[in-house]
Amino acid sequence: MRHFLLIMTSVFWLSFGSLYAQDRTITGTVTDSKTGEGLPGVNVLVVGTSNGATTDFDGKFKLSISGDVDLKFSYIGYKSQTIDVGSRSVVDVKLQEDVEQLSEVVVVGYGQVEAKDATGAVERVTAKEFNGGVIASPEQLIQGKSAGVQITSASGEPGAGVNIRIRGTSSVRNGNNPLFVVDGIPLTGDDVTAGGLDVGSGTSSPRNPLNFLNPNDIESMDILKDASATAIYGARGANGVVLITTKSGKGLQNNISYNTSVSVASAANRFDLLDREEYLGNLSEYGADPNELDFGADTDWQDEITRTAISHKHDISYANGYETGSYRVSAGYENQQGVIENSAMERLNARLNFNQSFLNDKLNFSTQITLSRINDVAPPITNNAGFEGDLLGAAYIANPTFPADASSQVGGLRNPLSMLEYNLDEAQTDRALINLSLDYDITEELNFRINGGFDNANSVRNQAASPELLAGNILDNGRGGIATIESSSNLFEALLTFDKKIGEGNLNILGGYSYQEFNRSGNTLQGFGFNTNDMNQMISDLESAGGAVRGAISGDYQQFGYDPGNDQFFVNRLEEGSEDLGARPTMPVEKLIENRFATVDELQSFFGRVNYNVLDKYLFTATIRADGSTRFGGENKYGVFPSAAFAWRVSDESFIPDSFHNLKFRLGYGVTGNQEIPHNLHQRRQNYGDIGFNDGGDIIRPGLTTVAFDNPDLRWEETAMTNVGIDFGFLNGRLSGTFDLYRKNTTDLLIQVTSAQPAPQPFTWFNLPADVVNQGIELSMDYVIIDNADFSWNFGFNVAYNKNQVNDYDGSIDTGEISGQGLTGAFAQRITGGQPLFAYYLRDFAGYNENGIAEYNDGDFQQFLGFSPIPLYNTGINTTFNYKNWDLSVYMNGQFGHYIYNNTANAFFTAGAYGNGRNVTADVLESDEAPINAPDVSTRFLEKGDFLRLQNLSLGYNFDLSGNTFVKNLRMYANAQNLFVLTSYSGLDPEVNVNKSLNGVPSLGIDYTSFPRPRTLTVGLNVTF
Amino acid sequence: MDKFKILLVGLSVLAWSCTDLEVEELDSVVVDDVSGEFSGVNPGENLTSAYVSTANSVGSQDNTYALMEVSSDAQLVPTRGTDWGDNGVWRTLHQHTWDATHQFNLNAWNNQNSNVFALNQIIAPESEADPQQLAEAKFLRALNVFIIMDLWGQVPFRDPNDGVDTDPRVLSRQEAVTLIEEDLSNTTIENLPNIGPGDDSEILRASQASAHFLRAKFYLNKHILLGNPSGSAPDNADMDRVIEAVDAVTAAGFSLEEDYFEIFDPAPDNESIFTLERDAGGRIWNTLHYNHNEIDGNAGGGWNGFCTTAEFYSIFEGDANSNTPGSNQETRRGFVPEEGYGYGFLVGQQYGYDGQELSTRNGEPLAFKSELPGLAGNSEATGIRVLKYHPDNGGAFPGRQILFRYADAVLMKAEANLWKGNTGEALQLVNDLRDIRGASPLASLDAQEMLDERGREMYIEFWRRQDQIRFGTFTQPWSYKDNTEEFRVLFPIPSLAISTNPNLEQNPGY
Repeated sequence: MRHFLLIMTSVFWLSFGSLYAQDRTITGTVTDSKTGEGLPGVNVLVVGTSNGATTDFDGKFKLSISGDVDLKFSYIGYKSQTIDVGSRSVVDVKLQEDVEQLSEVVVVGYGQVEAKDATGAVERVTAKEFNGGVIASPEQLIQGKSAGVQITSASGEPGAGVNIRIRGTSSVRNGNNPLFVVDGIPLTGDDVTAGGLDVGSGTSSPRNPLNFLNPNDIESMDILKDASATAIYGARGANGVVLITTKSGKGLQNNISYNTSVSVASAANRFDLLDREEYLGNLSEYGADPNELDFGADTDWQDEITRTAISHKHDISYANGYETGSYRVSAGYENQQGVIENSAMERLNARLNFNQSFLNDKLNFSTQITLSRINDVAPPITNNAGFEGDLLGAAYIANPTFPADASSQVGGLRNPLSMLEYNLDEAQTDRALINLSLDYDITEELNFRINGGFDNANSVRNQAASPELLAGNILDNGRGGIATIESSSNLFEALLTFDKKIGEGNLNILGGYSYQEFNRSGNTLQGFGFNTNDMNQMISDLESAGGAVRGAISGDYQQFGYDPGNDQFFVNRLEEGSEDLGARPTMPVEKLIENRFATVDELQSFFGRVNYNVLDKYLFTATIRADGSTRFGGENKYGVFPSAAFAWRVSDESFIPDSFHNLKFRLGYGVTGNQEIPHNLHQRRQNYGDIGFNDGGDIIRPGLTTVAFDNPDLRWEETAMTNVGIDFGFLNGRLSGTFDLYRKNTTDLLIQVTSAQPAPQPFTWFNLPADVVNQGIELSMDYVIIDNADFSWNFGFNVAYNKNQVNDYDGSIDTGEISGQGLTGAFAQRITGGQPLFAYYLRDFAGYNENGIAEYNDGDFQQFLGFSPIPLYNTGINTTFNYKNWDLSVYMNGQFGHYIYNNTANAFFTAGAYGNGRNVTADVLESDEAPINAPDVSTRFLEKGDFLRLQNLSLGYNFDLSGNTFVKNLRMYANAQNLFVLTSYSGLDPEVNVNKSLNGVPSLGIDYTSFPRPRTLTVGLNVTF
Repeated sequence: MDKFKILLVGLSVLAWSCTDLEVEELDSVVVDDVSGEFSGVNPGENLTSAYVSTANSVGSQDNTYALMEVSSDAQLVPTRGTDWGDNGVWRTLHQHTWDATHQFNLNAWNNQNSNVFALNQIIAPESEADPQQLAEAKFLRALNVFIIMDLWGQVPFRDPNDGVDTDPRVLSRQEAVTLIEEDLSNTTIENLPNIGPGDDSEILRASQASAHFLRAKFYLNKHILLGNPSGSAPDNADMDRVIEAVDAVTAAGFSLEEDYFEIFDPAPDNESIFTLERDAGGRIWNTLHYNHNEIDGNAGGGWNGFCTTAEFYSIFEGDANSNTPGSNQETRRGFVPEEGYGYGFLVGQQYGYDGQELSTRNGEPLAFKSELPGLAGNSEATGIRVLKYHPDNGGAFPGRQILFRYADAVLMKAEANLWKGNTGEALQLVNDLRDIRGASPLASLDAQEMLDERGREMYIEFWRRQDQIRFGTFTQPWSYKDNTEEFRVLFPIPSLAISTNPNLEQNPGY
């Protein structure tokens, strides 16, 4: 298995077989029937063979044929034409534009089909429809573009994680995003950067692993929504599949393209906190002494930590297509700054997409190579800071009379500027994604293809808290950490396709084998007690100290740590046990610990698909995939996932009037799986337990603990989905749309549950015997309202309704940890039968009694009150105007019918917090709450999450360059993101999802000091030579 | 034919590349054999882990400790404005209104039971522990099972060979008591090292003296563990076993210390028998105020939570309204100096290390008041604070906590004598102790006085609830607690535990 590169090369050489002789050469030009301009990149194919060519930049082609043949001309966005060549040697063709672009292809797993022949719910979003402006990761390109696809950025931080739910939420783990497949390589859902170490104020989320792709290199994204389409990805298809196709050089000739843009962003919203006068003026009413709390200054802490962020990016590419192949090389640089100080993402990347055919197109070789480096800088913003808050929490509660000076620190409350000044958090992630594929037409009907994919990411995250920071045990000691992760996956695939016309039908059969190996390893080094206040020096001291200890250890080990009891380092080895190092190496850090990890997982799959198409009207598809995974043991290693679909192109029936430009019914059913659980939970295993510094900065030497328990019955989570859909088009395709109805039932949920004690661990992974049902309706429509030569106007929208419910489950699982002072152990969500997933479980707040103490309907206990964090409706609205060289587009998106728990307000904006001398929002003073009231988790902090956002507004001008031989294209544009949000939510932004998981069960829809979302203005230039 | 060659090559690539999907472990050791049966763990390294987890499960300020001490009359955690509300977990503990979903109850159940399973794996013959390792594991298992029996009266048991799908069987009270007795057998004690007082690192591990001490604790409470009502009298035979065990501890060289508060310093002393490698920060900062922030290594100050009632404070001799030096108080009540942080019971104005009067965060004087308005609606300064571990004795986070202390052994012997009717001998033992602690001698000794003496010596040292149950006062009312439900002597089996194991039955009353 490890040698498949070698095999690929040998197959490559073997396939140089005989060459075909050709009789004569024909030439021709393909032009647009309306404008008369040459069309580059048109596919010209000798019907019934794989012999073909592609037109050049001027629309010209050249092809060797023998005898009298039919030529088929096809091009995206145009109606295909088939022409009998006869004895002609010159064939000129005028292609007619197809308004509805029915001949558009969509990428499905392991192949592509024409959209009109698709049997599943598949939606393609191409580059020209992508969201513009500052985009960190590919998901943001398609936000709001497709019905039923809910995309939520965790926060406004550059490079933050993105939550995608295709047709509702069905799993109760962190592995809930769809499978991403880039040019055929399925990416692992694992994080490639380390999460933030807790060096004083909680832990933070890792960055989005998809940031490594430059959005400008992406040609299209195809979203497979229903199980009949995703079942070909079997055990990884349950949450939907997004197929990313990168740009190639096809149809371009000596094309040099340069894009650049500059953006200015500022926080779109801020809290209305008390200023100095308001703060001091009301303290005495809340039992506090204003004289004691007046430090003399007048500081707006939100201003102190936020900034106007400038971002810029540059992309350059060179693309060239020729008769037997094409290539595109590109390089990009982007620097995105966040609106909070010390937050930024820098991306450098280079890419090659190369396709070459041999032996008259019988043998094709292609490769895509992406190299990227991402440098992240993060401020101390975390998910689970306690009452002192992370940077944002600290800024909201900071005393506004306290001077804005990092060196002024007093006990009890944190100075946000000190937190910025005395914390360092930088990560560097290098990633390479390489895809090699070779396919060969064995006969006219039979094609053999092999793919090799290599994905390798290396990440180092450095964190330091300077000894100058007044927090816990950090003052005069300092803490630092270096977390390294190396993750890689290797893919090998072999595919055989058979395609033949049989009578009135066409039969296409695909059989395949796939093997993918996932490696993940890394280490975490932490230090306590530094001799310097310079945080860069701290990191290099930590590196050298780590090196010194590692140098003194021979052989493999899992952990080392400094034992102050005997002034020695101990080394924990899995096989040999624990031992002491002879002497403490000389090093610049007082105490040091390191822990290492390494896992390898494998996935082996066999799959097949049959497409049968009768009279181009009746389309049948059936797929099956068997996935075997090391994540499961015993009898459950393999899972089998079938699907079947049928589509009927009604508009091609003679009894349907011509006013129906397009009408197609689709019906599909499939079973897909989910295997996103941690490594090997099925065998009883031990390793050395948690190692860390306690509050006193000491290290307790760990022993071996059980990390996983015998669990051979653990198996796949399964989702069965039924889909009924209609695609329609009227008015010669000017009005078109899609309507889908689905029911998705997820069973055997993989979830972490409480162990039956006595057990080695408090939680065990388990297949929950419950059903999670998502049912919904999706509608998307496009209307070309005006279509003149000078002026055109498009309007489109999509809307999706989804209802989520857990059925047949008697137990209950709590999640949604609520943080803040006096809120230890508090939670807000509970999963149980008869409720939606993550349903809110709260006290029913009924106002305050005469003493200002909160009262609750039905009493002081938590209950279900019919509130869910899952939106019922998702919508996207877009409209585009073109007037001569100008174009204007507007995109809006919205979510409705859900609720947000405002943990920020719960933790910080209460009378008690103000009475304790912390700053609060102005509305706290207007409430009847007494400072002695305990703000327990209740509907008081639950708010409607409905919003409609003007996501993107873009105005562009294309310069008229006719006659210019040097510059082919020149476009300037201005873009605004997040211009406004219509919402009643009192927090900063209703589109929010902070990770408030409890006992490993994730939460949904909770806001806790979320990074403010920016409003961004961009001006940019695209030029093509 | 070429085409078929290629096809053949392709297919053979397939055939050759298929994997059997055997999982490979790089950062853990599999302790099952090929057939999936338990094949034993490394006993030494697992024992290290068992000490760490036992220390963590009883050494934090919440979970097991909170069930053992905050549910008693000696300690409470009132809600102060927004602080310490914590979904009511602290209030319900003091008021005896907890239910089966109480978070600490669940955590304590999980922690103590999971310790037992880890120890079962070491004790299993497959692990081939040597005699001392086996004895240490049995000592720790006896300790954990004793705590589980004491809190819940039921002990679920999972064999090391049982997989995740086996519902643990539940030991009867008699079976559990027998398990503790057997784990503390003479063989166990013989195989433990004989460690006397003074060696700080050695008393972190089990010794003959710590096993004798645990025997004394066990026999003193055995009748309660067997299901007798709180306050009922024990068997005399068991009391003889208590006395015998305490005498064995004395024989190992342990004795009472002159300086009461220095015992809680991590430095060697004659009273500490078994200590936990868990810092004592949760016994210091849980009670001190945010503005007690002058100690190196904890610039953030205390958490301003735990306190006691005026009622409990009143069992000590001395001025009821002041605890400044010279208020005629005995040693154990401590004092509040005019420079630095006080010891024992902190009442009235508190001072910093430069003699400055400390204030609350809202600028009020930091003067701890003995009366509370109730369990909610408290200000920062209500409630008498209780401090045994002290930042002047070992820094902000002294590195260990004492679980078994010799004075406790002496009081157990006195109590055993009292139960047996040897009141004179009991009084002598108590008065000898009081003499060292600077308290005036008692004229007579009854059950209430015995309980009070244990309170005066052993406050906030983990055992108060158990003592109150033995003397029948745990279900009586006290300050800010009206509930007298008798079934509260046991905690409920956590509802999550019941839903995961059908063999468990909820304790009566819940």
